[in-house]
Amino acid sequence: MALIPFAFRPGKSALHLLDARLKFFLICLVSTSMLSASFVPCLIYSLLLILFFNLARIKVFQLLISMKFFLLLLGFIFLARCFSTPGDTLISAYGISISRLGVTTGFLVAFKFLLVMMTGLLFSGTTRPAQVKGAVQWFLRPIPFLPEKRVAVMISLSLAFMPIILKQNQKVADAQAARCGNLEKNPVKKIIRMVLPLLKKIFLCADNIILAMESRCYTEDRTDPEFQPSGKEPSFLLGSLILAFVFIVL
Amino acid sequence: MNTSNQLKMTVYSALFVALISIGAFIAIPIGPVPIVLQNMFVLLAAILLGPVWGITCIGVYLLIGLAGLPVFAGGTSGIGKLFGPTGGYLLGYLPAVFVTAAISKGLGKKLSGDIIAMIVGSLIVYAVGVPWLKVVTSMTYTKALTVGMYPFIPGDGIKIIAAAYIAKSIRPIIKL
Amino acid sequence: MQPKTADHKSDQTPDKAPGNIIDIQAVSYTYPDGFQGIKDITLSVCKKEFILLAGKNGSGKTTLLRHLNGLVLPDSGQILVNGKKINDHLIATRKTVGMVFQDADAQIVGDTVFDEVAFGLENLKFERALIIKKVTQVLEELNLYDLKDRNPRALSGGEKRKLAIAGVLVMDPDIIVFDEPFSNLDYPGAIGVLSTIVKLNRTGHTIIIATHDIETVISHASRIIIMADGKIQQDGDPKILMPMLESYGIREPCSSKLGFGIQPWH
Ligand SMILES: Nc1ncnc2c1ncn2[C@@H]1O[C@H](COP(=O)(O)OP(=O)(O)O)[C@@H](O)[C@H]1O
Ligand SMILES: [Mg+2]
Repeated sequence: MALIPFAFRPGKSALHLLDARLKFFLICLVSTSMLSASFVPCLIYSLLLILFFNLARIKVFQLLISMKFFLLLLGFIFLARCFSTPGDTLISAYGISISRLGVTTGFLVAFKFLLVMMTGLLFSGTTRPAQVKGAVQWFLRPIPFLPEKRVAVMISLSLAFMPIILKQNQKVADAQAARCGNLEKNPVKKIIRMVLPLLKKIFLCADNIILAMESRCYTEDRTDPEFQPSGKEPSFLLGSLILAFVFIVL
Repeated sequence: MNTSNQLKMTVYSALFVALISIGAFIAIPIGPVPIVLQNMFVLLAAILLGPVWGITCIGVYLLIGLAGLPVFAGGTSGIGKLFGPTGGYLLGYLPAVFVTAAISKGLGKKLSGDIIAMIVGSLIVYAVGVPWLKVVTSMTYTKALTVGMYPFIPGDGIKIIAAAYIAKSIRPIIKL
Repeated sequence: MQPKTADHKSDQTPDKAPGNIIDIQAVSYTYPDGFQGIKDITLSVCKKEFILLAGKNGSGKTTLLRHLNGLVLPDSGQILVNGKKINDHLIATRKTVGMVFQDADAQIVGDTVFDEVAFGLENLKFERALIIKKVTQVLEELNLYDLKDRNPRALSGGEKRKLAIAGVLVMDPDIIVFDEPFSNLDYPGAIGVLSTIVKLNRTGHTIIIATHDIETVISHASRIIIMADGKIQQDGDPKILMPMLESYGIREPCSSKLGFGIQPWH
């Protein structure tokens, strides 16, 4: 079964038990303030992240391996910055030059991307999906005209569909390979051959889910999720505020 | 709208939220560069779900990205990404989906109409995304266009034609 | 068509008989594409029966079952559950008739085993504390409690099917309807699901199982209904109807064929 990297991993660490609404807020706080941070605070934060992943018993290394596509992309971001940032030249060959500034900013940008992503993964890995959607619903409630319960159900369903889509996509790809579909040269046909069977399959799935929901009396007016603060919320809030302060000032 | 139809649209919209999210990870190798299908699913959501549910779908997608799930392009997430250099493309999905859906509906959900609708929709994404890129990174317009639009046009054309045919075969199955 | 089998002694009036929990009266249904799924079905179900709905693929079993909790509404005729017309009492019907679908994957809505079971109660707007209590109770009853935090999609086939049962059981249904509950299960998985179903019947639930492969359940059934071409062809005691099965395209259990009568499957 294709496991998505941001799947919830049950546990009892302090982060697992923290109120999801606060966690949600802290994620936004930390990832936004990080944008203006310099290298040393980022390095310190990365150590903190590793600590929390360990406490939550999530294997960072395995997580990174499952995201290798993303790491490749980070490589591209780094290279793009290297080539496009002007400054004193570090290496120059074939008319292309790499500046010292390009290498350092490129590295910092890629590093921050990685940290933002890992922060997101730490959140989704330690928060029950029901609580993620509960937190979203809670934050949306004050906004008028917004059907926050429907949004919550859509979030939950879309999380349910993701592994199904990945699995079906793999099946379609395998079937194509078995029938030499890879030899198709026409790019339009190639996309249609990959996507159409996938869509047919998952819409069938969706129809079955609709029936299953109806048969269990689905309505939008449902019992609300409940939050149980663990008592450690103030210390986490204080810690994150200090972190954000360090990010912005240093 | 009766409750049963509302449930159907809720589930189908959720399905497209998932497709758009996963679209950041599904790549089809065409020539030397893999084509990422995320924006094609955005356009398909527009022409299959219609304006209202299309907007809902993109709104929820942006929300789960904001909530920290790595569903934005390249597996990123968060408010920083949404307001970063490429955030304009993400926010541009909102008007793009609405206009694409409206045009497709207005032109009778036909193949040619869908293609026109999706071309307009793609242009709207760039119309929001490129100036945003320019402002956030303080590039010139020429540079913003060269990095943020021109390289993607051929792929977009391919995806639009494919999406139009896909919509044509899917519509009778899902009865939308 | 006589809806009752010989060994059910309750009275024969089809309408609102005290023991009848379901009354299907002359129900027909045509799919939007014009195909007639079921034709003029009349049928009564008594409390605590264990009914086997047999018939080859495409005979209309699934179509009929979906009528029982109002997922499909009949074109003509009517269905009463506990004496009430289901069209006017959809929520009550869906609480009374629990439905376990054929595709175990496609009925999972929750993100964890616990949330999946809680889904129905949340829809009924139960208090959170009561939901936790009832879900815990049902998970323990079906030996699923240790899996409560797991991702339901990562369970084994047998566990998924049990989870689906838990999801309807938590809503306290009187009748539980199963569509091909043993398909795609290995032997231990099927045994586990079967013993769960038998236990449910013993605790007073009415059971209706649709299947094209009857070997697994026949020894537990109190009544067998054979469908073909959207119509009920036979309805009665399994022992009596057994020899007719093959003429309706249903494989007769080996033990019966060999002259041993109906043997338990395990
Ligand atoms: N959505 C549908 N539209 C049209 N025909 C259908 C649909 N679903 C089922 N059918 C047809 O109705 C008949 C009965 O199907 P079904 O009730 O699923 O049979 P069974 O469960 O006994 O295999 C089949 O011939 C099938 O092709
Ligand atoms: Mg069937």
